[in-house]
Amino acid sequence: MALVPLSLLAAGCGKKQNALAPASHQSQDIATLFWWMTGVAAVGLGVVVALLLLAWIRSGRRGAGGDTQGAKPGERVGWYVVLTGGVLVPILLISALFVIGDVFVIRTTEAPAAGSTKRTILVIGHQWWWEVRYPGTSAVTANEIHIPARTPVRLEVRTADVIHSFWVPELNRKIDTLPGSTNEIELYADAVGRYRGDCAEFCGLQHAHMGIWVYADPPAKFAKWLARQSRPAAPPTGAQASAGRAAFLSGACANCHQIRGTSASSGVGPDLTHVADRETLGALTIPNTPSYLHDWIRNSQRFKPGNQMPSFNGLPEREIRDLVAYLEERK
Amino acid sequence: MSGYIASSVERPSKPAAWWGMVILISSEATLFGAFIGTYFYLRFRAPTWPPDGIPEPRVVVPLILVGVLLLSSIPMQLASNAARAGRLAATRLFVVAALVLQAGYFAYEVHDFSDQLKTFDISRDAYSSIYYVLLGADHAHVALGILFNLWLLAKLVRGLTTYRVHATQAIAWYWHAVNLLTLVVILTLLSAAIG
Amino acid sequence: MAIATPPTPAAEARVERLEVMWQSRPGVLGWLMTTDHKRIGLLYFWTTLVLFGAGGIEAMLMRTQLIKPNNDLVSPETYDQLFTLHGLTMIFFFIIPMTTGAFGNYLIPLMIGARDMAFPRMNALSYWIFLASAIFLYTSLALGMAPNAGWFDYVPLANKTFTPGHNIDFYALAVIFNSIASTLTAGQFIVTILKSRAPGMSFNRMPLFCFAFLAASFGLLFALPPLSADNIFLFLDRNVGTHFFDPSHGGAALLWQHLFWIFGHPEVYILIVPAFGIATSIIPAFTQRKLVAFPLVAIAELLVVFIGFGVWAHHMFATGMSTTALIFFAGATSMVVIPSTIQVFAWCMSFVLGVARFKTPLLFIAGFIFMFVTGGLTGIMFVAIPFDQQVTDTYFIIAHFHYIIFGAAVFPIFGGMYYWFPKVTGKLYFERPGQISFWLIFAGTNLLFFPMHLVGLLGMPRRVYTYPGNLGWTTYNVIETIGGYLTLVGILVLFGNLVWSYLRAPAAGPDPWHGPTLEWVTSSPPPEYDFAVIPKVSSAYPNWDVEDREEDRRKLASGVLLLDQGHEQVEVTPVDGWLSRTVEMPHESPWPVLLALCLSLVFVMLLLQHFAIAGLMGILSLLTLLGWHSKEPQEA
Repeated sequence: MALVPLSLLAAGCGKKQNALAPASHQSQDIATLFWWMTGVAAVGLGVVVALLLLAWIRSGRRGAGGDTQGAKPGERVGWYVVLTGGVLVPILLISALFVIGDVFVIRTTEAPAAGSTKRTILVIGHQWWWEVRYPGTSAVTANEIHIPARTPVRLEVRTADVIHSFWVPELNRKIDTLPGSTNEIELYADAVGRYRGDCAEFCGLQHAHMGIWVYADPPAKFAKWLARQSRPAAPPTGAQASAGRAAFLSGACANCHQIRGTSASSGVGPDLTHVADRETLGALTIPNTPSYLHDWIRNSQRFKPGNQMPSFNGLPEREIRDLVAYLEERK
Repeated sequence: MSGYIASSVERPSKPAAWWGMVILISSEATLFGAFIGTYFYLRFRAPTWPPDGIPEPRVVVPLILVGVLLLSSIPMQLASNAARAGRLAATRLFVVAALVLQAGYFAYEVHDFSDQLKTFDISRDAYSSIYYVLLGADHAHVALGILFNLWLLAKLVRGLTTYRVHATQAIAWYWHAVNLLTLVVILTLLSAAIG
Repeated sequence: MAIATPPTPAAEARVERLEVMWQSRPGVLGWLMTTDHKRIGLLYFWTTLVLFGAGGIEAMLMRTQLIKPNNDLVSPETYDQLFTLHGLTMIFFFIIPMTTGAFGNYLIPLMIGARDMAFPRMNALSYWIFLASAIFLYTSLALGMAPNAGWFDYVPLANKTFTPGHNIDFYALAVIFNSIASTLTAGQFIVTILKSRAPGMSFNRMPLFCFAFLAASFGLLFALPPLSADNIFLFLDRNVGTHFFDPSHGGAALLWQHLFWIFGHPEVYILIVPAFGIATSIIPAFTQRKLVAFPLVAIAELLVVFIGFGVWAHHMFATGMSTTALIFFAGATSMVVIPSTIQVFAWCMSFVLGVARFKTPLLFIAGFIFMFVTGGLTGIMFVAIPFDQQVTDTYFIIAHFHYIIFGAAVFPIFGGMYYWFPKVTGKLYFERPGQISFWLIFAGTNLLFFPMHLVGLLGMPRRVYTYPGNLGWTTYNVIETIGGYLTLVGILVLFGNLVWSYLRAPAAGPDPWHGPTLEWVTSSPPPEYDFAVIPKVSSAYPNWDVEDREEDRRKLASGVLLLDQGHEQVEVTPVDGWLSRTVEMPHESPWPVLLALCLSLVFVMLLLQHFAIAGLMGILSLLTLLGWHSKEPQEA
């Protein structure tokens, strides 16, 4: 019964957010451990089911009645099975599991020490988006992390508000973000690609819409990306974009969103300096296209009800189009 | 084991009321265990303890007061013994003696508690939060014990019955537990004065 | 010995005396003032069934919302209240009160040969406090402000800054209020099991049901105070401005988690151990054989709760604790597996070595073993810390704990309902629909919970009100929702069958199963006084000891150990069960329901932040307690 869906899983219904489609040695070790444990568990369940079936067959043959109450027939055999199956075998198997999992595999998934990698990235969880910073540069972005492929990166995770949990299953296990402290995890991708993650600790109304993309780029591409992210915003080109910039700075946008190189410097919401470079809006809630961006600004509550960005239904249509034009240039 | 005996031979054992009191004490002791665990958990995460601006606790006066309260275990146990021996007047006397010690202790502590609140308020930080909850919970249990003793005295006005003997035993145990608990609580709070 | 057929005229006259003396007041007043453990058990039974229904509706609403991606059947606010209430209800307001309050209350005195619990009025108090706490919690739903931060309610989400409304105050106060009821019940069971057994029932002759409930009671006694401490801190942080959990003023967010799971892990053993007790009652009856390795099973039941106190931080493996701490807790968790595996093989071998009659109760126990082992095996997988860190907080863990809780707690509850239905109602339930209900529920729960393992591995986190359609999760969710509806149908068949059987089924007689324990000695249903003669006990399977039951009949005729001079009960020595004294028991009393009412007012006033009035209500409660203790047994 279990084998069919399990094989579907393994056959790679695509790389999505699949713990059994590992893309790093950490996730690979965890996945291998899982398959072995499942195999042994299936055998264990099989033994128990066999015993119950045996009872059913024997009872069918012997029929009802028979005063077995006082005599305790087969009690000796019973004790042997209980002590073997219930004590000896579990002690052996669990000890093996403990050693393999908690002495060996744990070394690869343990938090990396400071200075052990060439690069450290800082991720700060917010209700309900991820702030991403590259210490040593002025790069700030949101809901997307870029790392060079096949390079271990140390991730420091914090929270600005409640407990979140950073989890990209294809790359590593999850790590919680706790107020007042910093946790660490290693991020390593053994192939170029993109890997999806989610917040994995209930953090309020829009916990369900707090995804994150991790892009593992070829090193040269990564360097170019990082350099671009570090630059402040370029000036707007054209009248509509200029109008949009003016609207951004004089309106409510600047109260929450930073665009480096302008007077907007608030950290309440995501940094929008290079927002057009990102694939999604609202932490992987909707695609980042002009039409979606337009709808998001007008009424983000429709896509992500309860999120911290109010709806701007009262804004004139022209103003929203100007804003979209300006933001679409933020690459 | 031959089990049941047909004749009505009765063997002594602690009454159900005693067991009930032991259960209550176990539950409350565990609650205090959680409070004390919290105290030390918060303490070992703090760079300084007490935090800056809060005075270290006095040591001598609190220890003397705890000593006074601990002394009350003696008359309480004597009351329990006297009750089991059927000596009504002695039982009443010992309960009154215990009450004097306990009420005196409690009155002073209430005064001291409200004084301290003026120095540093409960909502100041984590130290003040656990300090006042731990101490306040202990005072509440002392207060409850005083009420138990008052009830017992009122019952003893009309003499001793098996019920009242069991009650005296159970309440004596309550006081032993509360007194020991108070010692542990005070030592915990005073530990902030060391190191 | 069936009271229905007393042997001599003298015996008949004695029974008549007992009947009159133990009679209940008629009508509603009789129920409000009852201290009879069987009536209290029935009150718990019906109340918890209503709450089970509520928890079930919450589940079905969630499953229906999740049947397709980006669904909008319910808003995120509503969904958050649904999953929080579902967890709270099923754990605190269904399983614990159903196993301890309903099964435990009804059966423990009967199984140990007693006439009632050790503290009958306190027993009634437990029920009324439980009822009040359930009403208190569900009032929050009626007001649209039910708790919404999950049943384990982590801070800082649960503090005032992030959840300003009263939702979490309802949570903290309802949990504290409810825990008073459970603590009283736990104390009740411990004292009763130690002191009120029939003479001759030494500790090693207690039914395994009693070992299980003793273990669960010790668990409750020591696990609930940390939870209360946690919620006291939370209430104070939210309403008085303390800083237990606030790192900016020296507090710690993890403090909540530690205290919570110090309660929470023992709690999960408390959930399943009474169900083990039900299983170890049903197996001997339907295999007509004493349980294999009885002493090992008894010790294992106690050990699993005891060791369970040392493993709590395995719920916190992803919080960034030091590797040393993680390994300690993984090691402790490994140990707690052994008492469970011992029991699994003892149960299975009892099936094999006896003559198993797969009637409905035993079918549910077979199902229970299958589900418990499945859930237990995934539980063992979490000993490997990196694997736990990969799948915790996903649907994989939801699968794990539902296999355990539904499989290891609810299946035995259903089996127990069928098993003891004849005893409680006097009717023999209809077997065919019983079997059908089992298979529907078994198929439904597997369809519902198995795919959750897979969708969790595919990355679906828990507590999400919706999900995107392009991650391959949709099909699994559809199957799970169908499984949920199938389970619902099975449960409706189960209860429909019980109701129909109550109305139409033939009489059962005192002992339709030739059961091993003393409840099968009495009539069905048992008389108010349970036993006319306190039974003689020489083994852990007293109803199979034919000579002892004969001797009881002779004692009834001659009046020995009849205890008909009042509401009398024996007390014994705790270990050996030697007769110690005869005690007079309270009968009916208005004080329990009055005290519960006063305590309710305390909690309501705390919720409304009228602290001074809450204090006054506290004083009123103390006065009620005074009234309770005003009349002594010898004056009654």
